[in-house]
Amino acid sequence: YRGSFPMPWLSESYFMAKEDELYQEAVSRGSAAADEVTKWGAGGGNVTASFGQVVSIAGKFGIRQEEVTPLLKLARAWSGRSVEDTSRRWEELVPDYQIKENLMRSVICMFESGFTLPQGREVTNYYYPLQYGFDGLLEIAESKRSLVAGNADGDGLRGMDRLYFYQAVIEVLRGLQAWIEHYAEEARRLACREEDPAQKGEYAELAERLTWIAHYPPRTFSEALQLTYFLHTAVLNEDCISGLSPGRLGQILWPWYEQDRQAGRIDDQQVLEWWELYRVKLTCYDCFAAMGVVGGVLSGNTFNHLCLGGLTKDGASAVNPLEMLILEAGITCATPQPTLGVLYHEKLPEEFLLKAIETNKTGTGYPAWLNDETARTFLLQQYGPEGMTVEESRAWSVGGCLETSPGTWQPLVLNGKTYWIPGGSGQPTSVGVHFLSLPKILECVLFNGYDHRRQIQVYPPHDRGLDRFEEVCSTFRQYLELSIDLLVKCNNIQHDIWRKQNMAILHSLLKPDCLDLGYHIGNLGYRYNATFSVESCGTANLINSLAALKKWVYQEKTYTLDEVRQAIRENFGYQTAEEIGSYSLSAQEKRPGGAVYDRIHRDLLDAPKYGNDDPFADSLLRWWEDTFCQLCHHYQSLYAKPLYPCQISVSTHGPQGAATLATPDGRLAGTTFADGSMSAYPGTDHCGPYALFQSATIWDHSQSQNSQMNLKIHPNAVHGLTGSRKLLELTRAYLRRGAFHIQYNIVDSQMLRDAQLHPENYRTMMVRVAGFTQYWVEIGKAIQDEVIARTEYEAV
Amino acid sequence: MTNKHSDCRNFAPVDVAKGICHRTKDLVITDSLPCENFLNLPKCRNCRLYKPDPTEPVMGLCQAEKDRPWTYAELVAITCQWYAESE
Repeated sequence: YRGSFPMPWLSESYFMAKEDELYQEAVSRGSAAADEVTKWGAGGGNVTASFGQVVSIAGKFGIRQEEVTPLLKLARAWSGRSVEDTSRRWEELVPDYQIKENLMRSVICMFESGFTLPQGREVTNYYYPLQYGFDGLLEIAESKRSLVAGNADGDGLRGMDRLYFYQAVIEVLRGLQAWIEHYAEEARRLACREEDPAQKGEYAELAERLTWIAHYPPRTFSEALQLTYFLHTAVLNEDCISGLSPGRLGQILWPWYEQDRQAGRIDDQQVLEWWELYRVKLTCYDCFAAMGVVGGVLSGNTFNHLCLGGLTKDGASAVNPLEMLILEAGITCATPQPTLGVLYHEKLPEEFLLKAIETNKTGTGYPAWLNDETARTFLLQQYGPEGMTVEESRAWSVGGCLETSPGTWQPLVLNGKTYWIPGGSGQPTSVGVHFLSLPKILECVLFNGYDHRRQIQVYPPHDRGLDRFEEVCSTFRQYLELSIDLLVKCNNIQHDIWRKQNMAILHSLLKPDCLDLGYHIGNLGYRYNATFSVESCGTANLINSLAALKKWVYQEKTYTLDEVRQAIRENFGYQTAEEIGSYSLSAQEKRPGGAVYDRIHRDLLDAPKYGNDDPFADSLLRWWEDTFCQLCHHYQSLYAKPLYPCQISVSTHGPQGAATLATPDGRLAGTTFADGSMSAYPGTDHCGPYALFQSATIWDHSQSQNSQMNLKIHPNAVHGLTGSRKLLELTRAYLRRGAFHIQYNIVDSQMLRDAQLHPENYRTMMVRVAGFTQYWVEIGKAIQDEVIARTEYEAV
Repeated sequence: MTNKHSDCRNFAPVDVAKGICHRTKDLVITDSLPCENFLNLPKCRNCRLYKPDPTEPVMGLCQAEKDRPWTYAELVAITCQWYAESE
């Protein structure tokens, strides 16, 4: 069961656009026949169609019929005043704004930034409430308010804001206390009415726990875990967020677990159950973002990433027994949230690594494997100018799918013993320029800036003959730079309106150093602010397309560019994916008379492909990565910090593929791109995983916030303990080459095909899509087809 | 107006279609009819200070506050300090 609620003050255009439709739906539902009442939403938990007294929104969410009218009234109240509408008015003043609109309409860029998911893909921080409790924080805020009231203290811009910030903090803290105490009252009410002694006792214990944490720092593991869950839920109530990650929760809660175990207050069976309950409750979180985000990008996932392992403050292995229980709960209670990640370092104990491999082998897709060393090299480069040290870099964790996020060590004192616990201390990531469709930009290069699908002149015509391969690359770079330049400016405006109209007070106070300095997020209160990025999608298809052009048009001159253009416009003689309703290359159908393009299509398919340790293709990846990683730093966020590359695709490789014609690598129109950034295009990696690893690590992964490698392995290939050791060695082989990330779908493709035919038999099956694990039945058909088409390694 | 499970104080909603009855511990359909142990759930429409909007059946005003903010009939009022059950 999951829930979310829309925030029309952020973005209300979806509801306004659907106003009549939603209103009619609500009114007509009133007459629904009785039997409709028992019909569950199809497609797993998605409410894909209205039923009974429930109205479907965006084919995913269900809202009670009686709440539609108040929602529309609320949306109308924000029409013209939401962050979205206010941003629109100011964005239009950016020169060449129309080109930015073209980029959105042709889906070269997947979605807006400042009013869709303005926070998230970040690691939150529970330290202050865990250490001081709410009463303690109120005291701190009140004393600081007195200190700053009326003083600028040398800062003519932000100094006076501190009074207003601390007052807002006080109001929010009191609100949190009242909220938690309401739950305590309800627990007491239920305890009074309850007849079953065991349940009665649980309600009473819950009431006592809530009454305590509403005021004081937690004393036990269950109080500490309960407090973190309240805080997590409260932050999600404050803004539209995907990827609010708890961070290294097993290391954050270690002090209470250690002392409870020593005092015999708790045993591992109880702690395992707590983690299982935590998994169920974290899976409740859903998020309703603006149009185009709900289905296309997120596939309905919220990417709360709990990380394990990594290093301690002084550089030792940070693995602890509590993290073994977190892995165990990931097996005994398989749910999409939280997704798990191992921060791999050579110092981590073998027993822990093999336990993580066992979790992989259950087929859930988690944990992902992340390279601690490579990540910290990136962090020191990006955040060094803001004071990041080697020691502080060890406190990192993952924001959303795979967003390397900065952290900070803070001293947690429990019963006189000090523990250094890691917590997030950076701004949101995966904000700035969202998902640029690289193959679509190349398409515009080939067709002089024109999008034949949407029939719009996206870019100014370049009017070049493209007579040399270098000219294709330089024109691609020119269109890419124009895209980033415009999108950065427009998104900077959106985020600036967000920080002026929709500032999150709770999430400000939770992370260093807002509470100490008195500056909220928008006033650069967080310790690390250089977190905005440029995202890409379709890397493998770009590289393979450039390789095919270079070989057949520019080196062997077998075809002219016009012949390639013609074949692309005719989709190599095939019907389009939309026409036949399938987005998988293997399921495409020829058009009558289409054979005329067979030879060019075969040659383009046979051109060197990325992923086979072939220098012809891999050198192009090297060119691209060196270009892209350097390019991003030339752009500044609204916080005057340099941007960096973020190379994951989430599920945008589906819709962005759908918006792209056939590509010179032989991919057909409308079909998905390769997922991630280092994953090969399905079926083109035929020299085994180690050749793929050679190709993927031809560039320096620490130049980018991340890279993403998905591998599909048949369960038989990793059977038994020997299979586990092989999978661990495979993981090491890749990470030791400096790669940033690898994750596995350990599943049989035949089963996936059967699951497409009989979803009702697979309602709890999960697969790894990108940096997240999702219920198979809730994934769109395009992504399902792509996961099925991925190369399946039957031996390791 | 026929009461449903979602009008009963014993009902804990799980999602838009179902919930748990605290008394029987069963999973129940939100819009199905409750049993004889029905306990009225504080909602704006059950409050003396709620003034229905004649033009819009599900909407109304709250007269507990000076500026009479808008609200809606089905809004749950468990934590509202001014709630006063109408006879």
